[in-house]
Amino acid sequence: MPPKTCALCENAKAILKRPKTGQQICKDCFFHVFETEVHNTITQANLFARGDRVAIGASGGKDSTVLAYVLKTLNERYHYGLHLFLLSIDEGITGYRDDSLETVKRNQQQYDMPLKILSYDELYGWTMDRIVSQIGKKNNCTFCGVFRRQALDRGAAVLNVDHIVTGHNADDIAETVLMNIMRGDIARLGRCTSIVTQGEDTIKRSKPFKYAYEKEIVMYAYFKKLDYFSTECIYSPDAYRGHARTFLKDLEAARPSAIVDIIHSGEAFEIREEIKATQKIQQTCKRCGYMSSNDLCKACTLLEGLERGMASSGITDRARKKLDAEGPLPENLRTIPFYQPPSGNPNPTITIES
Amino acid sequence: MVSESCGNPSVETEAIMSRRPKYDKSKFCIKCKLNSGAIIVRHAVYCKECFPALLSSKVKRILEPQINPNPELSRKKSLKASGNLLVGFSGGLGSTVLLDLISRIYLSHRTEIKKEEGVNKSRGGKDHPRNEPVWKMVSVCYVEVASGFPGMTDKTQKIHQLLQENYESLEFIPIRLENAFDLSWWNKVGGKAALDANTDLTSDELFVSTALNSPNSDSVQKLRSYISALPTHTAIESAIHTLIRILLLYTARSTQSSHLLLGTSLTSISIKLISSISQGGGFSVREEAQEEWNPDSKGAVRLIRPLQEITLKECSMWAWWNDLLVVGQEKYLRDKDGIEALTKEFIIGLERDYPSTVSTIARTCAKLTPKVDAAGLCILCERPLQPGVQEWKSQISMRATKEPSPPSHSSDPSSVLHSLTSYLCYSCHTTLSSRSSKGVSRNSANTSLPLPVWASTHMQGLLVDVPITDMQPNLKEADEEIWLTHKVNPDEMKVAIGEFLLE
Repeated sequence: MPPKTCALCENAKAILKRPKTGQQICKDCFFHVFETEVHNTITQANLFARGDRVAIGASGGKDSTVLAYVLKTLNERYHYGLHLFLLSIDEGITGYRDDSLETVKRNQQQYDMPLKILSYDELYGWTMDRIVSQIGKKNNCTFCGVFRRQALDRGAAVLNVDHIVTGHNADDIAETVLMNIMRGDIARLGRCTSIVTQGEDTIKRSKPFKYAYEKEIVMYAYFKKLDYFSTECIYSPDAYRGHARTFLKDLEAARPSAIVDIIHSGEAFEIREEIKATQKIQQTCKRCGYMSSNDLCKACTLLEGLERGMASSGITDRARKKLDAEGPLPENLRTIPFYQPPSGNPNPTITIES
Repeated sequence: MVSESCGNPSVETEAIMSRRPKYDKSKFCIKCKLNSGAIIVRHAVYCKECFPALLSSKVKRILEPQINPNPELSRKKSLKASGNLLVGFSGGLGSTVLLDLISRIYLSHRTEIKKEEGVNKSRGGKDHPRNEPVWKMVSVCYVEVASGFPGMTDKTQKIHQLLQENYESLEFIPIRLENAFDLSWWNKVGGKAALDANTDLTSDELFVSTALNSPNSDSVQKLRSYISALPTHTAIESAIHTLIRILLLYTARSTQSSHLLLGTSLTSISIKLISSISQGGGFSVREEAQEEWNPDSKGAVRLIRPLQEITLKECSMWAWWNDLLVVGQEKYLRDKDGIEALTKEFIIGLERDYPSTVSTIARTCAKLTPKVDAAGLCILCERPLQPGVQEWKSQISMRATKEPSPPSHSSDPSSVLHSLTSYLCYSCHTTLSSRSSKGVSRNSANTSLPLPVWASTHMQGLLVDVPITDMQPNLKEADEEIWLTHKVNPDEMKVAIGEFLLE
């Protein structure tokens, strides 16, 4: 079979087929379209302003490694004028984070970006290993996810950043749309395709890779020879997301555009007015000040359960009632430090590794 | 290490799909509390005697608010539709059960039911206003798809026989899938004259060429050409469903029907919703449950799916207990690669182990609405057209780094090139343009797709520089609104006022 010419530049030899479009193109054209599409996503959504301090949620995995590389490249090429930081969370899972944190530290050197590592131990007094030893291997995704979300915001507040970017890609968003429909989570379904989310007291978060295919991110890392750690969380059992993911992979095989088609569907609809009225309004947690839909935020609820030896009180109604029946919160129980959103002060309050 | 939530039936987890026990409380019927249960419907137990009332109330809950011309959510007035009724019948389980239930609930001339139940339904005599039929005339329409797939069996005769034996008072209207390309059928159902149009699938612009004086090509040939030109198995599934739905809608209009009923069960609706969302059809998520169709304001048809709260399992039990013969539907795609088939496998698998997932999908989608108003109708599927589709697509993927060269026009003066793309909704455009991961299209030899008759007519109506007999287009500047005008001759005027002329 004669070697094909790149469908874009019609000059160089085509060496890869783009998962997103099926076009057969050369390496340089691939880099160009991948980077330009991310740039278009950023500019069309007006994600950044000049001078913004932006924290990249860095896990050492492929999405965040490529995100850090691409953002640095685009920041220089198009003069976004951003101050970029790496922010990493250590959940305290032996073997999982140890290796990926090394990658993040390497990224810090390679991209010359300041790095802040925040651990669950430091913030909550509990590592995931210790949580799992108390609650077993069911429901740990709830603990990990809730704790991580707060941790990212708190880390960003400490760094005094205006904006957190995460490496969520098109596959993640499509999977989330399907999962929220299957679970009937109407509130999340209304929000999950937004490229930017921001509450009153929370830091703006966005997903520049919203339309980037996971396979293309891997391809980019491969051709650019970026190293990253690919690890499966050892505590993720049979979760809703797993079912949605398998199904999504089958859809992609049948028709590669299915991933963006699902995102398009998610963007095309919204919650009906009469349903919006019944949704819970956002409040702030009475204990730690973070955003919450109830009196206590989920992280405080989970932590109270762990501290008082009834970890499932954050998960089931029955267990919560049992905990409440045991009496009010003891005086000296560990709680999460009060959350201060960024004050706009350009100097960070604590030293960071540089 | 003991897991705290092991075996706990009331676990309210956010991350884990929990298995619940088969039934909540006892084995006795939840309605009458006397009989032993015979069927479990999503954790609730029903006996055989209470089951018919359950299904009947579910059907009425969906259908009755939509019968009177002004839909009312709760009404004590009598039900009276503005037109006739057309029931779409595919031979499958859903439509078999639908026809049976509709017949029992609304068509009081089914005397065998009255005998069975031992109650005379028409109290007060058959002329009492209470017993006036909701619809004056009821017809059943079957769309035969066999012509499009060589080797498939034609079931028209078998279905006709089945309906004659069980529903002799209902008119049977058999139509064929190839009618979508048949001008004589189109004229019969009131369609305007259409030109032969073909779309070139090699480019995303989907250029259409029309020929004024095209030779009469066989509609079966056109149908097969249509199917063979589609780029993926998903496209075939989706395209066939669209053709069937539009054929049924035009048939409903031609029979002066105000309502078209389809036998889509809850399970099928969930499958269709997920399948449609996976193909970019989020904008028309509401139309999957129900639509009000009136493309050129010539009379609306309400397409309703009365079984949308009834699961496949309940339909099966109903058919089994009432000895309903289900003719069945033959699969037209031997392999299971399409998105709809994948979704069906996924959802049926879920329903077995997690029965509430299916109803959750339908309930969640019922809470959704399109974010923006529609900008007209898609000319292929006649559903609401979302604005800005092509802009969105071009922003998401860069398919070219240079300016595209202008398309070369054919030398034939009678054929004109226009792009179909801006008149298609996201799903239809993706159906025609999205390639499979295998690289080459299924049949790369055929990339010319004939347009169904309604699409050609809509296209004609939207374009003005295709000469149509008797009409001289009055073209203004390209950025001004363009109107078609023609001088009205006396004969035309006479037609309009003829009935008032005394001589």
